[in-house]
Amino acid sequence: MKEGDVFTEKFTVTEKIYNNFIDLFRDRNPMHVNEEFAKNKGFKEKVMHGNILNGFLSYFVGECLPEKNVIIHTQEIQYKNPVYLNDNLYFQAQITGFFESVKAIEFKYVFKNEELKVVAKGKLQIGSL
Amino acid sequence: MERKEILLNVQNIFHDILDNEDIQLTDQTTADDVEDWDSLTHIQLIVSIEKTFKIKFSSKEILSWKNVGEMIDCIETKNI
Repeated sequence: MKEGDVFTEKFTVTEKIYNNFIDLFRDRNPMHVNEEFAKNKGFKEKVMHGNILNGFLSYFVGECLPEKNVIIHTQEIQYKNPVYLNDNLYFQAQITGFFESVKAIEFKYVFKNEELKVVAKGKLQIGSL
Repeated sequence: MERKEILLNVQNIFHDILDNEDIQLTDQTTADDVEDWDSLTHIQLIVSIEKTFKIKFSSKEILSWKNVGEMIDCIETKNI
């Protein structure tokens, strides 16, 4: 891996992911489970949990990189637009910093929906073990 | 950049990463003197120092430092 390298993935927020997230973490805020409530707040339908995207980030780091001996040091995320059930998300991450001395790699990443609107973006720093 | 200015910049990085404005670095300061300066924090400090001063260290250089003074000496030799 080197500075400038770009990685892309496509993720879908499926019914299974959504239901399992609720089962595991018990966040049943009406914004996430009540269609009517979400619509009254100005959303198209119930809004998916933002932290589902952190699960996709975990998959990216753990499964999509050429190296397996990695750990996450720091991670930040900014949410820009809502994600809805069955949305397809286009993920792109670019290496923006390579710190050989401490075996750390910094990424900037973005999630876009099918309308190519940014739904979330942020930075991620991983370390090589 | 003068040595004192380098030390002050490094101290600001320590304040930011360790979230502690009370840290006062001297040439003699070591990791044992600073609360929460552990191995993971050390990586964050080095990354931030490399980015701030636009320099690169080698792992050999980092391992050779015995205190903050030796780290500052190393930054100074990078001709910033």
